[in-house]
Amino acid sequence: MQGANILLEPGVFPRLLQGLWVTIWIAAVSVALSVPVGLVCGWLMTLRNPVIRFVMRVYLDFIRIMPQLALLFIAYYGIARAWNWNLDATGACVLVFILWGGAELGDLTRGALQSIPEVQHETAYMLGLSNWQAFIHVILPQAVRRLLPGSVNLATRIVKTTSLAVLLGVVEVIKVGQQIIDANRFQYPTGTLWVYGVIFLMYFIVCWPLSLVAHALEKRWAND
Amino acid sequence: MTETTERTGRDDTIALKVTDLKKHYADAERNVFDGISFEVPKGKVLVIVGPSGSGKSTLLRAIAGLEPIQGGTIALDGTVIETGRPGNEKSGRVKRSEELRTKFGMVFQSYDLFPNKDVLGNITMAPLLVQKRKKDEVEREALELLERVHLADRAHAKPHELSGGQRQRVAICRALILHPEILLLDEITAALDPEMVHEVLEVVVELADAGQTMLIVTHEMSFARAIADRVILLADGRIEERSADAEEFFTHPKTERAREFLHSFDFVRHRDAQAERELREFDAQ
Repeated sequence: MQGANILLEPGVFPRLLQGLWVTIWIAAVSVALSVPVGLVCGWLMTLRNPVIRFVMRVYLDFIRIMPQLALLFIAYYGIARAWNWNLDATGACVLVFILWGGAELGDLTRGALQSIPEVQHETAYMLGLSNWQAFIHVILPQAVRRLLPGSVNLATRIVKTTSLAVLLGVVEVIKVGQQIIDANRFQYPTGTLWVYGVIFLMYFIVCWPLSLVAHALEKRWAND
Repeated sequence: MTETTERTGRDDTIALKVTDLKKHYADAERNVFDGISFEVPKGKVLVIVGPSGSGKSTLLRAIAGLEPIQGGTIALDGTVIETGRPGNEKSGRVKRSEELRTKFGMVFQSYDLFPNKDVLGNITMAPLLVQKRKKDEVEREALELLERVHLADRAHAKPHELSGGQRQRVAICRALILHPEILLLDEITAALDPEMVHEVLEVVVELADAGQTMLIVTHEMSFARAIADRVILLADGRIEERSADAEEFFTHPKTERAREFLHSFDFVRHRDAQAERELREFDAQ
């Protein structure tokens, strides 16, 4: 139990919270920007144009097949350096997570859009709604309800995957934890468990409310 | 074909006129229907009956613009709004102006209320978005319509909170608020439990009495008989019999095809002696 005292060292908690803030910032920006990208991708995936279809298929498969870490390395060490693009490690993370989140959310959106019964489109047509009005007022609200559970799941996956940012040298919560452990290695040899335990709880506190919200909305919309 | 009179000028008494309508699917050998002509006079009710697969729903959908036609014309209120041409089999819903679409009110078999809106939201959406009418005026009219179908107290219910019969009555209100030239009803009671059928059909009968022009596809023969001004029997994509006297059609059909069709609705149990004996043995066990 002595190792637990590492948590009481001055500055440990504030530093962990700073790290958590970086984690949340990367995740929040990525998720927020994935939403428009994903909705547009999902819409494109429902189109009948074979060229658009093929491009979207390649995009989705490429993102799915590649490990996120490989994507991060390609973005940060590959593309940014090759084109002399001034992209910092955090920016590279956000870029990769938007591409990943956008593709996955796009596929969820496609499924949700295609699951809306044809008669809903036909009714909107008969009522004189333009294609855009039908999409905004009839199809999208229903699709959003159907894709919500999957997209919250995706958001928690993005939050968790931000830990890979360590490998690009981003000082987020895991990296801060490692620094604290290294700095106190001699004073608290068993502190590792406690520091990572706190980080585990921090991830839980971030992700848990997301699934609570998703669950509540799912229940509310269950019959709609 | 006797009813289809060729007029050159505009006829103010005809709401919908369909001439020589042709429809086939891209890879099908048979035409869904071939050369169908009829008229719906203003304020009258035309009922289309026929066996399953006769093309009657497709006919209604083609008139509504949901399916392209490959020949013939559709005229609404004296103006030709669509001319069929071959080669457009896969082109999906017909491009029609928003205003023209609101002139056809359509109610489908089921699942056509918007689940994300309450009853009032469903009814007021199109008048607000398409016709750009004022909100308080539209809501007042919506409530009046709901009153007519005895659902004024459900104005803020979500579709999933309603019974099937209530949903169809709301769908009728939603179509009526646009003041359509003609109301198209596509087997609106086919997906309902038997005890709900009556409450929906009662509303439709009231509409007919109020002079609403309607084109109805239905399997409910007693309803068809009660409401129709004119009847068409469609079978295998052809009009087998037409009558301007609905009562006459249902009591004394002229063609063998119509007699056969109407007879299929009579439930008479014919048992031969052998079957009787087996039944008695079964009961005895």
